Amino acid sequence: MTLLTDEIRTHIGREVVYTANEEVGRAAIRYFARAMGDDNPLYRDPAYARDHGFDDVVAPPTFVCESNQFVELPPDPDGYAGHTWGLPVDHLAAIRGGNAYEFHRHLRPDDLVTTTWRLVDITERTTSAGEAMLVVTSEVTYTDASGEPIARNTETLIYKERK
Amino acid sequence: MKAGDALPPLERTITIADMVAYAGATWDHHRMHYDRQVSEAAGLPGPVVDGQALGALMAEQLIDHLGPRAFITHLSFRFRSMVFAGETVRCEAEVTEVGEEHVSTEHKVTVGERVAATGSARVRL
Repeated sequence: MTLLTDEIRTHIGREVVYTANEEVGRAAIRYFARAMGDDNPLYRDPAYARDHGFDDVVAPPTFVCESNQFVELPPDPDGYAGHTWGLPVDHLAAIRGGNAYEFHRHLRPDDLVTTTWRLVDITERTTSAGEAMLVVTSEVTYTDASGEPIARNTETLIYKERK
Repeated sequence: MKAGDALPPLERTITIADMVAYAGATWDHHRMHYDRQVSEAAGLPGPVVDGQALGALMAEQLIDHLGPRAFITHLSFRFRSMVFAGETVRCEAEVTEVGEEHVSTEHKVTVGERVAATGSARVRL
């Protein structure tokens, strides 16, 4: 049985754009650093940031790629409130494969972030144990209010048959 | 700094309280990350740490060592096994290349003997 059906294949190439409700904000940046246990003053002390050549605090490097703050969606029954493609894969178990981030500049408190999700590919592969799996590759770009790039995130999700 | 140098390791115990804070900070309230009933129903030993948090730790380790003016241009990682609430992760990093204005690194996150994630980065100095 093939996991990569014609119906699933039709989703390849889809694109969805989200614009944040408001600017990032200093509090959101400090909250993320605090949640990670990262005590670097660059993320909470504007005077320290200025002493090191910045206009204001900046966000920890990976924050822009990890937060659903810029995507305003209602939570699903599991509580998840981020972007999904809504693929017909309820019969499969999802596992995160990995992420590849490319950063163009620091995320700043006054940035209004637009997030563009593209479903670049869906392929079927076989694991070393002989199980079929679907590999879904999304490319996410984060741009500022002028349309200039802040970061890009290539994300891989893997779907396998439930045991 | 030269190829083969190890960065100071970063160790952190990730508690349920940390995971709830991370869920709030990232607006990701998936129950798998804090609700024991959900993780038990899935046959797991506890709530699962959001894998992307391991990327944040790799970045923290780099900036702690290279300073606030260092800028990470690339960071990629693959997940090898899940990390559960209360476990202590150890982030190890090794310099693989040093250029005029950049450094490349390889990363490994472990829980005891278990590898949770591997990654690589490129940082502009």
